[in-house]
Amino acid sequence: MKPYLKKIYDWVDERVELQDLVNFMAKKYVPVHRHSIWYYFGGVSLFLFVIQVITGILLLMYYKGSEELAFESIQFIMSKVAFGWLIRSIHSWTANLFIFTTLVHMFSVFFERAYRKPREITWLSGMMMFFLLLGFGFTGYLLPWNELAFFATKVGTEITGAVPVIGKPILEFMRGGDNVTGATLSRLFGFHVAVLPGIFTILLGTHLILVQRQGMSEPHEFKNKPHAEQKTMPFFPNFILRDLTLWLIVLNLLAILAVFFPWELGKKADPFASAPAGIKPEWYFLFMFQSLKYIPAKVFVIDGEVLGILLFGAAGLLWMLVPFWDYKSSRGEQSRFVTYIGLFVVMYIILFTILGWLA
Amino acid sequence: MKRKLFYLGLFCTVIFLPAQSLLADDQCISCHTNTVGDKQSELFKHDIHFKKGISCADCHGGNSKLEDMDAAMNPKEGFIGVPKGDNISKTCAHCHADPEKMKKYGSSLPTNQWESLQSSVHGKLSTTGKEHITQCVTCHDSHGIVSVKNSASPVFPLNVVKTCTKCHANASFMQTYNPAMPVDQLDKYRTSVHGVRNRNGDPKPAQCASCHGSHDIRGIKDVKSSVYATNIPTTCSKCHSNAEYMKQYKIPTDQYEKFARSEHGKALLQKHDVGAPACNDCHGNHGATPPGVESVSKVCGTCHALNADLFSSSPHKKAFDERKLPECETCHSNHEIVAATDKLLGVGSEAVCSRCHQTNQNVKGYAVAKTMRSLIDSLEFMEQNAEMLVNESEQRGMEISEAKFKLRDVRQARLQSRTMVHSFNEQKFHDVVGKGMTAASIVQGEAQASIDEYYFRRKGLGVATLIITIFTISLYLYIRRLERKQNKKVI
Amino acid sequence: METPVQHPDESRRDFLKFILGGSVLAWIVSVLYPIFAYLKPPKQNEVEVSSVKVGLLKDIEKDSGQIVKFGTKPVILIRTANGDLRAFSAACTHLECTVQYRKDYGMIWCACHNGKYDLNGRNVSGPPPRPLDEYRVVVQGEEVSISKKS
Repeated sequence: MKPYLKKIYDWVDERVELQDLVNFMAKKYVPVHRHSIWYYFGGVSLFLFVIQVITGILLLMYYKGSEELAFESIQFIMSKVAFGWLIRSIHSWTANLFIFTTLVHMFSVFFERAYRKPREITWLSGMMMFFLLLGFGFTGYLLPWNELAFFATKVGTEITGAVPVIGKPILEFMRGGDNVTGATLSRLFGFHVAVLPGIFTILLGTHLILVQRQGMSEPHEFKNKPHAEQKTMPFFPNFILRDLTLWLIVLNLLAILAVFFPWELGKKADPFASAPAGIKPEWYFLFMFQSLKYIPAKVFVIDGEVLGILLFGAAGLLWMLVPFWDYKSSRGEQSRFVTYIGLFVVMYIILFTILGWLA
Repeated sequence: MKRKLFYLGLFCTVIFLPAQSLLADDQCISCHTNTVGDKQSELFKHDIHFKKGISCADCHGGNSKLEDMDAAMNPKEGFIGVPKGDNISKTCAHCHADPEKMKKYGSSLPTNQWESLQSSVHGKLSTTGKEHITQCVTCHDSHGIVSVKNSASPVFPLNVVKTCTKCHANASFMQTYNPAMPVDQLDKYRTSVHGVRNRNGDPKPAQCASCHGSHDIRGIKDVKSSVYATNIPTTCSKCHSNAEYMKQYKIPTDQYEKFARSEHGKALLQKHDVGAPACNDCHGNHGATPPGVESVSKVCGTCHALNADLFSSSPHKKAFDERKLPECETCHSNHEIVAATDKLLGVGSEAVCSRCHQTNQNVKGYAVAKTMRSLIDSLEFMEQNAEMLVNESEQRGMEISEAKFKLRDVRQARLQSRTMVHSFNEQKFHDVVGKGMTAASIVQGEAQASIDEYYFRRKGLGVATLIITIFTISLYLYIRRLERKQNKKVI
Repeated sequence: METPVQHPDESRRDFLKFILGGSVLAWIVSVLYPIFAYLKPPKQNEVEVSSVKVGLLKDIEKDSGQIVKFGTKPVILIRTANGDLRAFSAACTHLECTVQYRKDYGMIWCACHNGKYDLNGRNVSGPPPRPLDEYRVVVQGEEVSISKKS
């Protein structure tokens, strides 16, 4: 068997100089230290993205993005198509796990200051992907056209509509009209399967090329250690194989979740029915949703909701631009202030998510 | 002799009646009888009111003590002449609505008649719009009123029919108020047992007022009406459940109790389903008569048409007619019809077929009954089994809405087969049951497949987990080996 | 001295590689099997035309009725002789048999116990205690659909 593989390898190598890539990867080293575990979350997120692409394409084979058929087609996938239940449940579970792992990945990068020069573009592309992910979650949530999704989308788009001047056009753009209707479904479906994945792929490519070119970021203290103590491991095959092991475990976890906790479909959305009690957005939007509730209806002359949205917008922007205002880290100095901000954000999100969950 | 009697009467009235109503004092009567000689004053002398000492002036006003006609019938003396419109009834109500006054005359009559009349269907405004349709005098007459117990009274049981039909049999009159209302009640009534006995002079059987009430008559669609669908059984039972009252007619008095226990009674009295039959739906209302033996199936068939049709074209029709067996009733009873279950079918102890069909007589029917029962039992068993499997699959969180939908067909076939029993034709029955059985086995198959699928998912997961575990462990070992080798190289 | 030590190590490694290769193959099969089974067209090729959409107006004959699956409930769509469209729950209010349109009666009829409803869904004869629930028929251009009455 070996000679054949070797022959194929040589055939390809001759044409595209594969050996260079292998040599490059073999020379690449991953720093080993007490925070090494966080390096894996990027890889897991990548793996989950691949799963999403595959299961998403599979779902597209049977899904119908129209008001009359969306719910029925998912019901059809779940009951009539072999392993349809598995594909759909995995897609739904992965979506949630994906957001979770990217969150962990983002915060680990933040606390490690891995965004500092020269990795500003990597950070920016990552942040943009994170926002796109939230977009994926929001658009995908409506696609089964069930009661909960319908009203969550209604509320979600309404909040956007509160933004002054641009809010109303954005709301109409997202809904494809004044109300959440079949037009909204078609629109969000288009975004979910074409627009967002297209942009996401470009960003992901940039992100991965940059990671490969620049290598893994090393923590501050790692550089100060004597050379002998700077432990590393080769990216290929050691790190890749470890990544692979973790991916396998994650895949198994997904299968277990899909079998034992199949993703519910609920009741078909009825635009004329009154909203069921306890409408909540997906968990990753919960902390924002909950915060908006605590802001008084009027602050001076500004609408409370508008103020909240503007604040979150500003906070998001500041967070995204951290490499540009965190001078100390770029100069290679410790910056406790940024750590405190990060800790505050983590605590805030956890606290408000719990509050939203309990409410 | 006459004179003697007159004085005796005068003596009696002096003794028993209040002084102001003395005949001798009442100038109205004396003048109207002696000088004018009109019919009213003549009639009034037989009137119960006259006997109780009520004078003309009590209703017509004026001063009955004055001899001078102009002075006595002067508006200044309060003379009103003949009361018009609602004033007629108000004149009566002046005393009849006042318990104190009625007590004074030693009357135990109720005092709510005027009130009841106003809220009744007859209390609506007449075509002139100025008065109620009916006044007291419409039914009771004005002069010469006697007790309701007196056979001369227009409201005496034997006379009520005539009194009511004065208007109600007059098509052109009824048209002015309710063109849709029939005017043939009397004709129908005379065909009924009630009507025949009434004509023959028996005051006890029901006449108009017995069912419709007297002063408080309401339309049949008025829920307060005594003849509103849900009230009819109670109305009929006033007499028909009274054993003492019904004694001389020698008919049972337990119809109401039986009806109340029956499926029809439950639907009507407990579920207030006004479509369910009350007494009148089978016996008729004005022409109330028990349906004859040969017409039972026609009467039941007004609602249970399919069963009746099937029965009429079945071999049982001839057999029942020959033996003078009432059709539906023979198996289902009459007043106490309970929900027919499958137990009625077959040859078991509770089955009705075996009353005629035995192993030694009417043998063919015995075999058919046995087959039919076993077929319907199997269908029911299959339906239960399919339903159980569907539920089980649903509990396991499987999507089975399609099979659940199909389950309806099984149920439908079973219900249809129960109707089809009345054809007493094995082949027809078999066809319907067969349809149900086919549907049931499809549902069973689908439900079983989805339960199998449930276990398959778990097993599949087990296999995949095993593979991944082995993969993971061997990968781990491989990495360890690889790194040990690398370390060796470095060293 | 070194070679005998190397030997068991090598053989163990071969065994490990064998297991590893085997499990990679098994894993690939366990991932690909569901995917290919998923892609194999199911018995019913497509999700059924929805309960709500019935079809084109021209395809619905006058003086006819048809049963439409509305979620898990049957609905009867009637087109009267003069072209009106009406929809009612097809579950008889008596014992929930499925009703049908009878051309000869011009009525909705239940086969189980001969219950009859007029074309407004009102129970007019037989055992049904209540009228049939009405559904709304919407005609958009040529397309006929049924929806719940709100």
